[in-house]
Amino acid sequence: MTSRREFLILLATSTAAIATSKAMQLPKTEVDLSKYKWAMVVQVDKCTKCINNILKKKGIKFDELSLDKQNELLRNLRPPCVAACDLANNVPRMPNNPRFDCYMVRIIAAKSTENAEWRFFPLMCQECEHPACVEVCPTKASYKRPDGIVVVDLHRCIGCRYCMVACPYNARTFTFMDPLEHLEKINPEVPIRKDGVPMKCEFCRWLIDMERCEGVKNPKPVCVQVCPYDALVFGNLKDPNSEVSKIVKTSKVVRLRAGLGTEPKVFYQDL
Amino acid sequence: MVEFKKIDGRSNGYWLICAIFFVLMMWGFYAWYLQLVYGHCVTGLSQRVPWGFGTAAICYTIGASAGSLIVSALSGVFGKTEFKFFSRSACVFALATIVAAMLSIMQDIGNPENALNVLMHYNPTSVFSWNSFLYSSYFVIGFVYLMAQFGEKHRITKALAVLAVAWAVLVHSGTGGIVGFVYSTDLYHSSLTIPMFIVSAIVSGLGLLIPMWLLTFKWTNRPLDRNLMWVLAKIMGALTILLLYCFAAEALDTAYVPGNAGAIHMALFDFRYPYAWDFWVIQVGGCLLTVLILLTPWGKTDWGMGIAGFIVAIAVYGERYSLITPGLGYPKDLVPGMIFRPFWIVPYYPSWVEYAEIIGLMSMACLVYCIGLKIFAILPERGEVEEE
Repeated sequence: MTSRREFLILLATSTAAIATSKAMQLPKTEVDLSKYKWAMVVQVDKCTKCINNILKKKGIKFDELSLDKQNELLRNLRPPCVAACDLANNVPRMPNNPRFDCYMVRIIAAKSTENAEWRFFPLMCQECEHPACVEVCPTKASYKRPDGIVVVDLHRCIGCRYCMVACPYNARTFTFMDPLEHLEKINPEVPIRKDGVPMKCEFCRWLIDMERCEGVKNPKPVCVQVCPYDALVFGNLKDPNSEVSKIVKTSKVVRLRAGLGTEPKVFYQDL
Repeated sequence: MVEFKKIDGRSNGYWLICAIFFVLMMWGFYAWYLQLVYGHCVTGLSQRVPWGFGTAAICYTIGASAGSLIVSALSGVFGKTEFKFFSRSACVFALATIVAAMLSIMQDIGNPENALNVLMHYNPTSVFSWNSFLYSSYFVIGFVYLMAQFGEKHRITKALAVLAVAWAVLVHSGTGGIVGFVYSTDLYHSSLTIPMFIVSAIVSGLGLLIPMWLLTFKWTNRPLDRNLMWVLAKIMGALTILLLYCFAAEALDTAYVPGNAGAIHMALFDFRYPYAWDFWVIQVGGCLLTVLILLTPWGKTDWGMGIAGFIVAIAVYGERYSLITPGLGYPKDLVPGMIFRPFWIVPYYPSWVEYAEIIGLMSMACLVYCIGLKIFAILPERGEVEEE
């Protein structure tokens, strides 16, 4: 039985603890993410020029390669956007093991008819407005932030790979083994994944969040920063003056697999 | 009145069977241990085919469980009292296989230590989330139904049998929805998947139960009415024909879309990959062989019914495999209306680890059934209908 004295001590201690914790709370600095709707425009003309130059330097004529060689070449092709993404986001690349090779962004070649010229462009998570991965995730580990970026919470993910199957763009890969063994360099700003979880492009949210907090007006993912041809344009669709908004409003842009209704926020110009 | 009795379970044969199942089960757990230590790289899966034999095992074991529970409820729901002999043993097998199904989910996921998140963070738009609720409640309903049977509470048993059948259909519909609702893959999205899952569940349930009962009654020296077995075999045969009809309807439906030509050609006619072999030899061939066996006079014998059941049980596994893997092996149409690269078909061959895991889990279900026969009164003294 608690005595009156013990009860009063307990009451005073609890009140002091609550008061201290309230006083220790940091002032709220959270930014309202719903002010943003991050999007990217890929200018396919410029991307094609970049890849054609790389191939020219290597003396490769893409059209003359067999299907297998074309596949292999594209799998291992690392233009500046891909190379920077791999390094910045701790992506474990395994070029000799295509079964388990992880990626966040990869290069696709496409042409409308047999006789047409090949066009090259990067394919990454399309940050859909209605993402299939979020819809199917059994634990809400995949979720869409208020700024539209689709994120994977690695602490909640069970590794069922339903998101990979449901994604219309094959934008996710799975860590079939410990990724640490396959990293050239570790970026401490990005969480290091364990084996058994999916990974995807998140528009370098660690970087754009950091830059936004530092007051940078137009934060950019690393692929956009390193692109030598300024082929990738990143910005806020909710800002009518952003370059992205202007391009989407005035140019002919397409979204991949638009018929599915996922409404990607990656737009392709001149495809 | 059917009298149920425990078996003695003292013979060398009984212990030998238990030992075989135990060894196979441990082999499966060893394979799982390797997967936990080294990651999913010990499986045959890849970035393009992230679901394979393990996922097929989940669908299969849930189907076998749902099918067994439906068979168990034949007497309660449809008033077929002559099938009461089998209601308890089928229910025990259904519970054992649903546990195997839940374990196969644990084996398949990459992050089993987070598994409880499925129950803690419910996502109402995820079919997988619906299933986490359906599977756990299914086990509880099945268990209460079994307890009601033990207690000989006839009215409650009947009510629970109706609930169990409805729940079994729901559970397996949910499992079918996991695959059938995926719209990003040409070979997945089909409204026929769910009803086909239910039909194949009953077929695989019967396919496993018929040889199991024939052997159990034979080895425990209990008389068994062959006419009852033949009725069950006929139901299995009729549903197998229905299943073949569903395969044809689904394949033709998919093939009719010109855009699916490449995918359907690979899945059905390109024998350089394992998918066409599985479709024609295991899935269609197995079902046809089952029907043919049952149409011959030999099909009415113990051997005939037992082998037909065993073959169709494997054929349904082949169906699960061919439902899941070819759709992933064929590239998704990333840039519609354009020719694109990389474009390559990924063949998927399960590794020994995946075989060991499913064999281990099925052996575990059989071991539970064998132990159940010794501990609980689930087998009738006589499996024959008495003349009145």
